[in-house]
Amino acid sequence: MAVSTTTALSIGGNVFSGQLRRWELNESKLFQKPRSHFRWLCLNDLHLLRFRIKTLNFNPRGSLLPSLYAYGKEADDAYLSNVNEDTDEMFDDLMKKYGEVVFTKNDRKSSSAELDDDAESLSFAVEMAKVASDVKAGDIRVLFVKPLVYWTRFFIIATAFSRPQIDAIGSRIRDLAEKKYGKIPSGDTKPNSWTLLDFGDVVIHIFLPQQRAFYNLEEFYGNATLIEVPSENQPPFHS
Amino acid sequence: MIQPQTHLNVADNSGARELMCIRVIGASNHRYAHIGDVIVAVIKEAVPNTPLERSEVIRAVIVRTSKELKRDNSMIMRYDDNAAVVIDQEGNPKGTRIFGVIARELRQLNFTKIVSLSA
Repeated sequence: MAVSTTTALSIGGNVFSGQLRRWELNESKLFQKPRSHFRWLCLNDLHLLRFRIKTLNFNPRGSLLPSLYAYGKEADDAYLSNVNEDTDEMFDDLMKKYGEVVFTKNDRKSSSAELDDDAESLSFAVEMAKVASDVKAGDIRVLFVKPLVYWTRFFIIATAFSRPQIDAIGSRIRDLAEKKYGKIPSGDTKPNSWTLLDFGDVVIHIFLPQQRAFYNLEEFYGNATLIEVPSENQPPFHS
Repeated sequence: MIQPQTHLNVADNSGARELMCIRVIGASNHRYAHIGDVIVAVIKEAVPNTPLERSEVIRAVIVRTSKELKRDNSMIMRYDDNAAVVIDQEGNPKGTRIFGVIARELRQLNFTKIVSLSA
Protein backbone atom coordinates (compact mmCIF):
# COMPACT_ATOMS: atom_id res chain seq x y z
CA MET A 1 0.00 0.00 0.00
CA ALA A 2 1.49 3.29 -0.98
CA VAL A 3 2.23 5.72 1.78
CA SER A 4 1.85 9.25 0.64
CA THR A 5 3.10 12.21 2.60
CA THR A 6 2.99 15.89 1.85
CA THR A 7 6.29 17.58 2.34
CA ALA A 8 7.96 20.74 1.21
CA LEU A 9 11.31 20.14 -0.44
CA SER A 10 13.78 22.71 -1.46
CA ILE A 11 15.89 21.72 -4.37
CA GLY A 12 18.38 24.24 -5.60
CA GLY A 13 16.65 27.06 -3.82
CA ASN A 14 13.27 26.35 -5.39
CA VAL A 15 10.60 25.10 -3.09
CA PHE A 16 8.29 22.33 -4.23
CA SER A 17 5.54 20.95 -2.21
CA GLY A 18 3.97 17.78 -3.28
CA GLN A 19 3.12 14.28 -2.56
CA LEU A 20 5.83 11.75 -2.12
CA ARG A 21 5.08 8.13 -2.45
CA ARG A 22 7.05 5.27 -1.09
CA TRP A 23 10.39 5.56 -2.63
CA GLU A 24 12.54 2.69 -1.61
CA LEU A 25 11.84 1.06 -4.92
CA ASN A 26 12.44 4.18 -6.97
CA GLU A 27 15.48 5.17 -5.05
CA SER A 28 17.92 2.81 -6.62
CA LYS A 29 16.84 3.74 -10.13
CA LEU A 30 16.72 7.49 -9.64
CA PHE A 31 20.09 7.75 -8.04
CA GLN A 32 21.99 5.37 -10.18
CA LYS A 33 23.22 8.26 -12.28
CA PRO A 34 25.16 10.30 -9.72
CA ARG A 35 26.63 7.16 -8.28
CA SER A 36 27.95 5.82 -11.52
CA HIS A 37 29.43 9.24 -12.33
CA PHE A 38 31.26 9.15 -9.07
CA ARG A 39 32.66 5.70 -9.63
CA TRP A 40 33.90 6.73 -13.06
CA LEU A 41 35.70 9.64 -11.49
CA CYS A 42 37.40 7.33 -9.04
CA LEU A 43 38.70 5.05 -11.73
CA ASN A 44 40.49 7.83 -13.58
CA ASP A 45 43.22 9.88 -12.00
CA LEU A 46 41.88 11.16 -8.75
CA HIS A 47 44.22 14.15 -8.84
CA LEU A 48 42.48 15.44 -11.95
CA LEU A 49 39.48 16.14 -9.79
CA ARG A 50 41.47 18.77 -7.96
CA PHE A 51 41.31 20.91 -11.08
CA ARG A 52 37.66 20.71 -11.80
CA ILE A 53 34.77 18.91 -10.25
CA LYS A 54 31.93 19.63 -12.56
CA THR A 55 30.21 16.32 -12.99
CA LEU A 56 29.08 16.06 -9.37
CA ASN A 57 25.82 17.94 -8.87
CA PHE A 58 26.20 20.70 -6.34
CA ASN A 59 23.30 22.92 -5.46
CA PRO A 60 23.99 26.63 -4.84
CA ARG A 61 24.56 25.98 -1.16
CA GLY A 62 27.49 23.81 -2.05
CA SER A 63 26.32 20.49 -0.68
CA LEU A 64 25.69 17.51 -2.87
CA LEU A 65 22.22 17.35 -4.32
CA PRO A 66 21.43 13.78 -3.27
CA SER A 67 21.70 14.88 0.35
CA LEU A 68 17.97 15.41 0.38
CA TYR A 69 17.20 11.76 -0.10
CA ALA A 70 17.28 9.11 2.53
CA TYR A 71 19.88 6.41 2.26
CA GLY A 72 20.03 3.16 4.06
CA LYS A 73 23.03 2.06 6.01
CA GLU A 74 24.10 -0.47 3.44
CA ALA A 75 27.73 -0.38 2.39
CA ASP A 76 26.77 0.67 -1.13
CA ASP A 77 25.58 4.06 -0.04
CA ALA A 78 28.04 4.62 2.78
CA TYR A 79 30.22 6.98 0.82
CA LEU A 80 27.40 9.43 0.34
CA SER A 81 26.25 9.36 3.93
CA ASN A 82 28.25 12.36 5.21
CA VAL A 83 27.56 14.63 2.32
CA ASN A 84 27.67 17.85 4.25
CA GLU A 85 31.35 17.48 5.09
CA ASP A 86 34.24 18.67 3.00
CA THR A 87 34.92 16.89 -0.26
CA ASP A 88 38.47 16.30 0.88
CA GLU A 89 37.24 14.22 3.75
CA MET A 90 35.05 12.36 1.34
CA PHE A 91 38.08 11.51 -0.74
CA ASP A 92 40.02 10.44 2.31
CA ASP A 93 37.25 8.08 3.28
CA LEU A 94 37.19 6.67 -0.21
CA MET A 95 40.91 6.13 -0.17
CA LYS A 96 40.73 4.35 3.15
CA LYS A 97 37.97 2.17 1.87
CA TYR A 98 39.32 1.29 -1.55
CA GLY A 99 43.02 1.85 -1.03
CA GLU A 100 45.26 4.51 -2.55
CA VAL A 101 45.69 2.83 -5.87
CA VAL A 102 42.48 1.92 -7.60
CA PHE A 103 43.80 1.48 -11.11
CA THR A 104 47.28 1.00 -12.53
CA LYS A 105 48.36 0.80 -16.09
CA ASN A 106 50.81 -2.04 -16.50
CA ASP A 107 53.19 -0.14 -18.72
CA ARG A 108 55.97 0.42 -16.21
CA LYS A 109 59.09 -1.43 -17.24
CA SER A 110 61.39 -3.01 -14.73
CA SER A 111 64.43 -0.98 -13.77
CA SER A 112 66.85 -3.20 -15.67
CA ALA A 113 64.81 -2.84 -18.86
CA GLU A 114 64.78 0.93 -18.29
CA LEU A 115 68.55 0.96 -17.98
CA ASP A 116 68.89 -0.99 -21.20
CA ASP A 117 66.67 1.51 -22.94
CA ASP A 118 68.73 4.32 -21.49
CA ALA A 119 71.93 2.77 -22.75
CA GLU A 120 70.44 2.32 -26.19
CA SER A 121 69.29 5.93 -26.35
CA LEU A 122 72.68 7.04 -25.06
CA SER A 123 74.52 5.26 -27.85
CA PHE A 124 72.13 6.77 -30.36
CA ALA A 125 72.64 10.23 -28.88
CA VAL A 126 76.43 9.92 -28.88
CA GLU A 127 76.36 8.77 -32.49
CA MET A 128 74.27 11.77 -33.51
CA ALA A 129 76.61 14.08 -31.62
CA LYS A 130 79.52 12.63 -33.55
CA VAL A 131 77.74 13.28 -36.84
CA ALA A 132 77.14 16.85 -35.79
CA SER A 133 80.79 17.32 -34.93
CA ASP A 134 81.74 15.92 -38.35
CA VAL A 135 79.86 18.80 -39.94
CA LYS A 136 81.74 21.22 -37.64
CA ALA A 137 78.87 22.14 -35.37
CA GLY A 138 79.95 24.19 -32.38
CA ASP A 139 79.81 23.32 -28.70
CA ILE A 140 77.84 20.10 -28.80
CA ARG A 141 76.34 19.17 -25.48
CA VAL A 142 74.53 15.96 -24.63
CA LEU A 143 72.33 16.28 -21.57
CA PHE A 144 70.65 13.49 -19.68
CA VAL A 145 67.28 15.02 -18.89
CA LYS A 146 65.32 11.94 -17.90
CA PRO A 147 65.12 12.84 -14.19
CA LEU A 148 63.87 16.32 -15.06
CA VAL A 149 61.47 15.68 -17.88
CA TYR A 150 59.03 12.87 -18.49
CA TRP A 151 58.78 13.04 -22.24
CA THR A 152 62.34 12.34 -23.35
CA ARG A 153 65.69 10.98 -22.19
CA PHE A 154 68.46 12.94 -23.86
CA PHE A 155 68.90 16.38 -25.29
CA ILE A 156 71.59 17.23 -27.80
CA ILE A 157 72.24 20.94 -28.17
CA ALA A 158 74.48 22.13 -30.99
CA THR A 159 75.34 25.42 -32.62
CA ALA A 160 75.51 25.90 -36.35
CA PHE A 161 76.96 29.08 -37.74
CA SER A 162 74.82 29.47 -40.83
CA ARG A 163 71.51 28.24 -42.16
CA PRO A 164 73.01 25.96 -44.82
CA GLN A 165 75.04 24.39 -42.04
CA ILE A 166 71.89 23.77 -40.03
CA ASP A 167 70.41 22.19 -43.11
CA ALA A 168 73.50 20.01 -43.56
CA ILE A 169 73.58 18.86 -39.93
CA GLY A 170 69.87 18.14 -40.01
CA SER A 171 69.95 16.12 -43.18
CA ARG A 172 73.00 14.12 -42.13
CA ILE A 173 71.46 13.25 -38.79
CA ARG A 174 68.22 12.29 -40.44
CA ASP A 175 69.94 10.07 -43.01
CA LEU A 176 72.08 8.28 -40.46
CA ALA A 177 69.19 7.74 -38.09
CA GLU A 178 67.05 6.31 -40.83
CA LYS A 179 69.74 4.11 -42.32
CA LYS A 180 71.27 2.75 -39.17
CA TYR A 181 68.49 2.85 -36.60
CA GLY A 182 65.38 3.13 -38.72
CA LYS A 183 64.13 6.15 -36.78
CA ILE A 184 62.40 9.02 -38.49
CA PRO A 185 62.32 12.31 -36.63
CA SER A 186 59.36 14.59 -36.24
CA GLY A 187 60.07 18.28 -35.94
CA ASP A 188 61.29 20.89 -38.36
CA THR A 189 61.72 19.93 -41.96
CA LYS A 190 62.56 23.42 -43.26
CA PRO A 191 65.74 24.96 -41.89
CA ASN A 192 64.95 27.31 -39.07
CA SER A 193 67.09 29.41 -36.79
CA TRP A 194 66.19 26.86 -34.12
CA THR A 195 65.85 23.46 -35.77
CA LEU A 196 64.50 20.68 -33.66
CA LEU A 197 64.65 16.96 -34.45
CA ASP A 198 62.53 14.80 -32.20
CA PHE A 199 63.50 11.12 -32.10
CA GLY A 200 61.30 10.22 -29.19
CA ASP A 201 63.93 9.42 -26.57
CA VAL A 202 66.41 11.89 -27.96
CA VAL A 203 65.67 15.47 -28.94
CA ILE A 204 68.23 17.39 -30.96
CA HIS A 205 68.32 21.20 -30.90
CA ILE A 206 70.35 23.01 -33.52
CA PHE A 207 70.64 26.72 -32.89
CA LEU A 208 72.16 29.73 -34.53
CA PRO A 209 74.46 31.51 -32.07
CA GLN A 210 72.03 34.32 -31.25
CA GLN A 211 69.13 31.90 -30.67
CA ARG A 212 71.23 29.77 -28.41
CA ALA A 213 72.04 32.75 -26.25
CA PHE A 214 68.44 33.94 -26.38
CA TYR A 215 66.74 30.70 -25.33
CA ASN A 216 69.54 29.54 -23.04
CA LEU A 217 68.39 25.96 -22.72
CA GLU A 218 71.51 24.96 -20.82
CA GLU A 219 70.51 27.23 -17.98
CA PHE A 220 66.96 25.94 -18.01
CA TYR A 221 68.19 22.35 -17.85
CA GLY A 222 71.10 23.19 -15.60
CA ASN A 223 70.33 20.27 -13.32
CA ALA A 224 70.76 17.75 -16.10
CA THR A 225 73.93 15.69 -16.09
CA LEU A 226 76.24 16.44 -18.96
CA ILE A 227 77.47 13.43 -20.93
CA GLU A 228 81.06 13.47 -22.13
CA VAL A 229 81.33 13.19 -25.87
CA PRO A 230 84.70 12.43 -27.43
CA SER A 231 84.93 15.29 -29.89
CA GLU A 232 87.70 16.63 -32.05
CA ASN A 233 88.77 20.18 -31.41
CA GLN A 234 85.62 22.27 -31.44
CA PRO A 235 85.60 26.06 -31.09
CA PRO A 236 84.25 26.66 -27.56
CA PHE A 237 81.00 28.57 -27.60
CA HIS A 238 80.99 31.49 -25.27
CA SER A 239 77.57 31.55 -23.60
CA MET B 1 36.90 26.39 -28.85
CA ILE B 2 38.63 29.61 -29.71
CA GLN B 3 37.14 31.82 -32.37
CA PRO B 4 37.70 35.40 -33.49
CA GLN B 5 37.07 37.89 -30.67
CA THR B 6 38.14 35.36 -28.03
CA HIS B 7 40.48 36.74 -25.40
CA LEU B 8 43.32 34.48 -24.36
CA ASN B 9 45.95 34.66 -21.68
CA VAL B 10 49.56 34.46 -22.71
CA ALA B 11 51.51 31.58 -21.25
CA ASP B 12 55.03 32.81 -21.88
CA ASN B 13 57.33 35.69 -21.05
CA SER B 14 57.26 37.27 -24.48
CA GLY B 15 55.81 40.52 -23.15
CA ALA B 16 52.18 40.17 -24.11
CA ARG B 17 49.59 39.62 -21.40
CA GLU B 18 46.33 39.21 -23.25
CA LEU B 19 45.52 38.42 -26.85
CA MET B 20 42.37 38.58 -28.86
CA CYS B 21 41.99 36.03 -31.61
CA ILE B 22 41.38 37.44 -35.06
CA ARG B 23 41.59 34.38 -37.25
CA VAL B 24 42.15 30.65 -37.04
CA ILE B 25 44.93 29.62 -39.45
CA GLY B 26 44.21 26.84 -41.88
CA ALA B 27 40.47 27.00 -41.58
CA SER B 28 37.60 28.53 -43.38
CA ASN B 29 35.01 30.61 -41.56
CA HIS B 30 33.05 29.03 -38.70
CA ARG B 31 35.79 26.86 -37.41
CA TYR B 32 36.89 26.80 -33.81
CA ALA B 33 40.50 26.52 -32.78
CA HIS B 34 41.58 23.97 -30.20
CA ILE B 35 44.82 23.11 -28.46
CA GLY B 36 47.63 22.99 -31.00
CA ASP B 37 46.05 25.29 -33.57
CA VAL B 38 47.79 28.42 -34.73
CA ILE B 39 45.80 31.64 -34.58
CA VAL B 40 46.39 35.20 -35.66
CA ALA B 41 45.85 37.48 -32.70
CA VAL B 42 46.18 41.09 -31.71
CA ILE B 43 47.82 42.04 -28.44
CA LYS B 44 45.29 43.64 -26.13
CA GLU B 45 47.53 44.08 -23.12
CA ALA B 46 51.28 44.02 -22.88
CA VAL B 47 53.95 44.28 -20.22
CA PRO B 48 55.75 47.65 -20.53
CA ASN B 49 59.31 47.83 -21.87
CA THR B 50 59.21 44.62 -23.89
CA PRO B 51 59.58 44.11 -27.63
CA LEU B 52 55.87 43.37 -28.02
CA GLU B 53 53.38 46.22 -27.78
CA ARG B 54 49.66 46.64 -27.57
CA SER B 55 47.70 46.36 -30.85
CA GLU B 56 50.42 44.41 -32.58
CA VAL B 57 49.26 41.56 -34.77
CA ILE B 58 51.08 38.30 -34.06
CA ARG B 59 50.66 34.58 -34.39
CA ALA B 60 50.11 32.30 -31.44
CA VAL B 61 49.63 28.64 -30.63
CA ILE B 62 46.84 27.64 -28.29
CA VAL B 63 48.11 25.63 -25.34
CA ARG B 64 45.16 25.54 -22.95
CA THR B 65 41.44 25.72 -23.50
CA SER B 66 38.44 25.73 -21.27
CA LYS B 67 36.80 23.40 -23.72
CA GLU B 68 37.65 19.77 -23.01
CA LEU B 69 40.41 18.00 -24.87
CA LYS B 70 39.65 14.35 -25.51
CA ARG B 71 42.31 11.69 -25.71
CA ASP B 72 42.15 8.30 -27.33
CA ASN B 73 42.25 6.56 -23.99
CA SER B 74 38.97 8.40 -23.21
CA MET B 75 40.66 10.75 -20.79
CA ILE B 76 39.25 14.26 -20.87
CA MET B 77 41.23 17.34 -19.86
CA ARG B 78 39.78 20.72 -19.23
CA TYR B 79 41.73 23.76 -18.07
CA ASP B 80 40.53 26.79 -16.20
CA ASP B 81 41.51 29.31 -18.82
CA ASN B 82 42.31 29.80 -22.49
CA ALA B 83 45.99 30.40 -23.07
CA ALA B 84 48.34 30.75 -25.99
CA VAL B 85 52.05 31.07 -26.66
CA VAL B 86 53.26 33.78 -29.03
CA ILE B 87 55.28 32.46 -31.97
CA ASP B 88 56.94 34.05 -34.96
CA GLN B 89 56.54 33.29 -38.65
CA GLU B 90 59.06 30.46 -38.50
CA GLY B 91 57.24 28.80 -35.63
CA ASN B 92 59.75 29.63 -32.92
CA PRO B 93 58.31 30.88 -29.64
CA LYS B 94 58.96 34.55 -29.00
CA GLY B 95 59.37 34.13 -25.27
CA THR B 96 62.06 32.13 -23.52
CA ARG B 97 60.00 30.36 -20.89
CA ILE B 98 56.50 28.91 -20.91
CA PHE B 99 54.34 29.09 -17.80
CA GLY B 100 51.66 26.75 -16.65
CA VAL B 101 50.70 23.27 -17.67
CA ILE B 102 51.14 22.13 -21.27
CA ALA B 103 49.29 19.17 -22.74
CA ARG B 104 51.42 16.48 -24.30
CA GLU B 105 49.43 16.73 -27.52
CA LEU B 106 51.59 19.69 -28.45
CA ARG B 107 54.58 17.42 -28.90
CA GLN B 108 52.76 15.29 -31.41
CA LEU B 109 51.67 18.39 -33.27
CA ASN B 110 55.32 19.40 -33.82
CA PHE B 111 55.50 22.02 -31.10
CA THR B 112 58.26 20.26 -29.19
CA LYS B 113 60.02 23.62 -28.86
CA ILE B 114 57.22 24.89 -26.67
CA VAL B 115 57.24 21.70 -24.63
CA SER B 116 61.00 21.91 -24.12
CA LEU B 117 60.71 25.48 -22.83
CA SER B 118 58.03 24.62 -20.30
CA ALA B 119 58.77 23.33 -16.84
